[in-house]
Amino acid sequence: MGTGLVAASPLVRALGQSQPTLTAREVVARIKKNVGVPWHTPTADEFKIGDPDAPITGITTTFMSTLDLLQRSAAAGNNFVITHEPTFWSAADVVSDLRDDPLYNYKVNFIEKNKMVVWRFHDHWHAHRPADGIFAGWNKAMGWESYASLGANPFSHQYVIPETSLEELARDMQSKLKTRSIRLVGDPKLRVTKVAHAGHYIQQCMQVLPHVDVVLVFECREWEAAEYLRDAVASGQKKALIQLPHEGGEEDGMDECARWLRRFVNEVPIKFIPSGDPFWMPV
Amino acid sequence: MITSEQLIERIQKNVGVPWQSQRSDGFSDGILFGSADATVTGIATTFTPTLDVLRKALSSGKNVIICREAPSYSRGERAPLFWRNGPAPSKELLDNDPVWQAKQEFISKNNLVIIRLFDNWDARKTDGQLRGLAHALGWEKFHVARAGENAYDPRNVYFRLTTTSLNSLAGDIKKKLNIQGLRVIGKPESSVSKVALTHGLLLVADAERILREPRVDVVVTGDAVEWEAAPYFQDLVSAGRAKGLILLGEEASEEPGNGEMAEWLKGFVTEVPIEWIPAGEPFWVLS
Repeated sequence: MGTGLVAASPLVRALGQSQPTLTAREVVARIKKNVGVPWHTPTADEFKIGDPDAPITGITTTFMSTLDLLQRSAAAGNNFVITHEPTFWSAADVVSDLRDDPLYNYKVNFIEKNKMVVWRFHDHWHAHRPADGIFAGWNKAMGWESYASLGANPFSHQYVIPETSLEELARDMQSKLKTRSIRLVGDPKLRVTKVAHAGHYIQQCMQVLPHVDVVLVFECREWEAAEYLRDAVASGQKKALIQLPHEGGEEDGMDECARWLRRFVNEVPIKFIPSGDPFWMPV
Repeated sequence: MITSEQLIERIQKNVGVPWQSQRSDGFSDGILFGSADATVTGIATTFTPTLDVLRKALSSGKNVIICREAPSYSRGERAPLFWRNGPAPSKELLDNDPVWQAKQEFISKNNLVIIRLFDNWDARKTDGQLRGLAHALGWEKFHVARAGENAYDPRNVYFRLTTTSLNSLAGDIKKKLNIQGLRVIGKPESSVSKVALTHGLLLVADAERILREPRVDVVVTGDAVEWEAAPYFQDLVSAGRAKGLILLGEEASEEPGNGEMAEWLKGFVTEVPIEWIPAGEPFWVLS
C-alpha cells in the first residue's frame, strides 16, 4: 500500500534531537501581525489538522497539501505545512462526510503519525498589502513585475508585455511556470501584447476582455471561459484564452510566501516545496 | 408539420420519466430562445450552441437547436456549486457584452429556437451520455454486465479492458475521440484494466461512490474541480488506492451523448431532418 507510512522520518528524528520552542500558533500570530490588513473572519485561513501548540521542526509552503507533498515535507524534516489550497478536497475542508472514506483516514493517519500541522493561508495572502502575495510571486516567476498594473479587482492584474504571438506566449509561460497542462483558445499566430488575469469566473472574463488581447484564467469551468472565448473568436474578435491549471496560477505565490516568512521567522528552516502540476498530457 | 412546442410535448411523452418542471432560475429544460409556435424546419443536437454550431445548423436549413449547455456561458444558479463555477453574469453585464450581443443577434435575426435538454435526459433509466461515450470509444464489448440491470444503467459505469499502461490508454482515448486537451493524473507506466467511465464534472462524492466497486484502476470523466476531485485522485495514487484519473474535457465527454440524443429523437420525430452537430473541443494545446 503506497509509500506513505515511513516509520522514522527525518522529521520525527529532528523532533527527538533538537529542542525547538517555536510553535505553529506562534508563526501564525506573526503572520497576522505582518500581513498588512486586519484579520477577518470567517476565513479559510485556519488550522486544518495537527496540534498548533506542538514544537515545529521546519516550515513548508506550498500550493496544495496533497499526500505526496506531505510525504515530501516530512522527508525534508518540515512538520509545519502552510498550504494555499485545501487539504481535504473541499473549499472549506469539510470532513464530516469523509469519516468513512479510507483515503481520508489514510491521510489523517500519515499526518498524525508524523506529528504534522497544516494551516491554510489563502484569503489573507491574497489580501496581503501592499500586494496580493500570490500575484507578487506569479509576476516574479514570469518576470512581469515591470509590465503589471493593478486593477480595482485583485484578480484583474493587467500587463502590457513586449509583442509576441499567442503560441510563443504560451510556451514562455509553460517553461517559466513549469506547467504541463496549458489549454488555449484562439489563433496560435495572433499578435498579443495586452494580457489580464480573469480569476476563475465568467464575469471577470467579460469585464476584462474588452481591454486585452489575451484573457488568462487559472481554472475556470469549461462552460464559462472556454465557450465565451471561442464565440468571441467566431464573432470576429481578435482575442485568445490561456487556461492554466489552478496550480500554475498560484504555486509561485507560495514561493513568495516563503521569502516573506523568512523576514520574521528565523528559528526554523523555511522551504517552498511545489505540489506541482497535477496533470500531464499524453503525446 | 411540427412546432417547437409540439416537439417538446413529444419529447416529454417519450422521455420515460416524469418531466421535471421549469426551474425559477430559467436555466432548466425547455425553450431558452425563440418561439413556441415556430415551425420546425430541422433539428440540430449539440453539446453547446456555439456561434459556429448555430451557423452550421442554419446553413443546413435547421432552425431548432437542442443542447445540453446554455448559450450564455453559465449554468446560473442551477446547482449550488459553491465556488466551483461563477454565478450567472448580471443582466447588465451580459446585455452589454459584445460577444453575447453578436450571438443573440444571430439567434433572433435568424429566428432560431434553442431548446435545452439536460436534466430530463439525464433522468432516463438509460444513461444516454454514457452510452454515446462508450460507443464513441468502441468500448461496448468491454462493459461489465450486471445481472438484473439494464445495460447503461447510470450506476453501471464499469468497463474491463485489455490490460495496458495508463499512458497507452490515454493515448488511445485521445486518438479515438480526436481530441487534444486530455489531462491525466497518475503514473504513465501504471498497468490498468478496470475503468470507470463517466461524463461531465466529477465531484468527490461521485468518486467515492464509483470507487466502492472493487479494483477500479482508473476513472475517465470530463472535468474535475482542481481543489476537490483532482487532488483526491492525486492522493489516491500516492496512497496506492487507484492508478489514475483521465479528464477528457467537458465537451469531449458529453458530446457523443448528444449524438445519441439525435438517434433517440429520430425514433419519434420523422417530419424533419435531425442531425448531430458536434461543437468540437474548445481548446488546443502546445505540441
